[in-house]
Amino acid sequence: MPIPADSSASSSASLAYLLQLASPALPVGGYTYSEGLETLVQQGLLTTVAELEDWLTQELQTGAVRLEAVAIARLHAAVTADQPGAIAQWNQWLSALRDTEEVRLQSWQMGRSLVRLMQELEPDLTPVFQRCGDRTNFATAFAIAAAHWQIPVQSAMLGYLHSWLTTAINAGVKLIPLGQTAGQRLLMQLYPTLHETVETAQALPDEALYACNWGWAIASMNHETLYTRLFRS
Amino acid sequence: MSPDSPIPSPVPLDAPPQPHESKAWHGQLQLDFTHRHPKTHLSHSFAQSPFKVQRPFYPEGDGVCHVVMLHTAGGIVGGDRLSSQIQVQPDAQALLTTAAAAKVYRSNGQTATQSVQVQVQPGGCLEWLPQETIVFNGAQIQQRLRVDLADQALWMGWEMVRLGRTARGEQFSTGCWRSHTEVWRGDRLLWLDPQQLQGGSAMMTSAHGLAGCPVVASFAVVGREISPELVQAARSLWRLTGAEPSCSSQGDRPVFQPASQPASQPASQPGSQTAFQIGESAPDLTTEPARTLTPATVGVTRLMSGMLCRYRGHSTAEARRWLVAVWGLMRQNLVGRSPCPPRVW
Repeated sequence: MPIPADSSASSSASLAYLLQLASPALPVGGYTYSEGLETLVQQGLLTTVAELEDWLTQELQTGAVRLEAVAIARLHAAVTADQPGAIAQWNQWLSALRDTEEVRLQSWQMGRSLVRLMQELEPDLTPVFQRCGDRTNFATAFAIAAAHWQIPVQSAMLGYLHSWLTTAINAGVKLIPLGQTAGQRLLMQLYPTLHETVETAQALPDEALYACNWGWAIASMNHETLYTRLFRS
Repeated sequence: MSPDSPIPSPVPLDAPPQPHESKAWHGQLQLDFTHRHPKTHLSHSFAQSPFKVQRPFYPEGDGVCHVVMLHTAGGIVGGDRLSSQIQVQPDAQALLTTAAAAKVYRSNGQTATQSVQVQVQPGGCLEWLPQETIVFNGAQIQQRLRVDLADQALWMGWEMVRLGRTARGEQFSTGCWRSHTEVWRGDRLLWLDPQQLQGGSAMMTSAHGLAGCPVVASFAVVGREISPELVQAARSLWRLTGAEPSCSSQGDRPVFQPASQPASQPASQPGSQTAFQIGESAPDLTTEPARTLTPATVGVTRLMSGMLCRYRGHSTAEARRWLVAVWGLMRQNLVGRSPCPPRVW
């Protein structure tokens, strides 16, 4: 793999890889999912940018995505230390943690797409992906790719959450609807929370991994009952 | 005692009885269920205070052994350590419940812990149906439930939680409730549910979290593939049970019960859902100013080899009505048995 030895060149090389991995152009179909936002907007429960901001702030602070960021850190360490058992274990943990069938299928579909892509781009990774077991979650595939490209763990977590946040805001922009500028401003307003989540998630011990997302989970559960749907979750 | 009625006041009000301040309870409970055709026996039972177990009974014939668990100390205080081990041997069928709502008192600074370990062998089934838990303001509790299923084993369980004694206007403004559930089949983790509610934090009022609702409940079935039709049926039961005016004998306030909505009214009629939401979601009017309340909401989804129902609202009686109905549905479809609610409910 062509990572230059020089440290500043190496860090700029890993930055380029991170931008690729976190890009909305990554062909994994993230833009087709709203994770329950579509339910709330259709039910008239989420109508303003302030409500969207509160929703996303809470998800970053206490939701499932924060636990995914923790899993990214654990998986990144497992790949770096070549611990296949731990990779399979955290991937299984992610599958069991999914609050609803829709978000579980979302994570597996995006994971499968990223695994296929990475196997084309980096054939060396095939045996690593095989250790994940039968279903690879998106966060697992993301962490494996990030570790392989020597993206530092904090950057990988930040990139993962940034990509998730961009996708969620774009869903809000389409659904509510909001102006593009309002969406970009909201993204910037959430940066302090984003950084805080990276900091706290990395420091959390296993016994402190809890979530609170009752509203989020119920909105996601009810998404499949909507009469018309633009999004797949 | 009904879950929504005022709870007799410990004296003094804000310092609930702590009979074991110097010596917290270290309660232990062990129950083994064994099947010897045609009967499931409680083949081993050990209870250390404050746990106690009533003699098993068989209200639906020999096939299912019902056991009522008691907590004799009145409630859980900071520092208590309670642990239970439940073994369900091959083909045994057991139903466990509790005699009354559990109470977790305001903490003296320490966290109470409750750990439950369940093993269900091939062909066995455990129904884990305790009555609700009332978590007082300032309580600190950490629960762990681990279920290990063999192939062809089934587990159904629920948890209903009221945060704060809302009937007397108490809110859960400090304290912490944690509940970690994991269900395994062999070395495969099927479901993981690590829940935390931090008193007074933004999650209590945000739409993403509890939206100001003091009652949450979950019901899970793990060990069978569940069809989308059953998921749909469980959702429909919410409209049916929700549309029914509440039983005032169960402690729900009759104040808002619309006289024009008789119990027999089908859920499909327009307006019935609204009527139920107004009636059921009302807080205690003597302490809460009139304001818009978030209506109760529910969701149902499939787990890996199972199904999960969630309730977020204002009434444990309402949550219980729906979940009892879903439990009956699952029982009928998965084990071919009619629901047989224990008398203590």
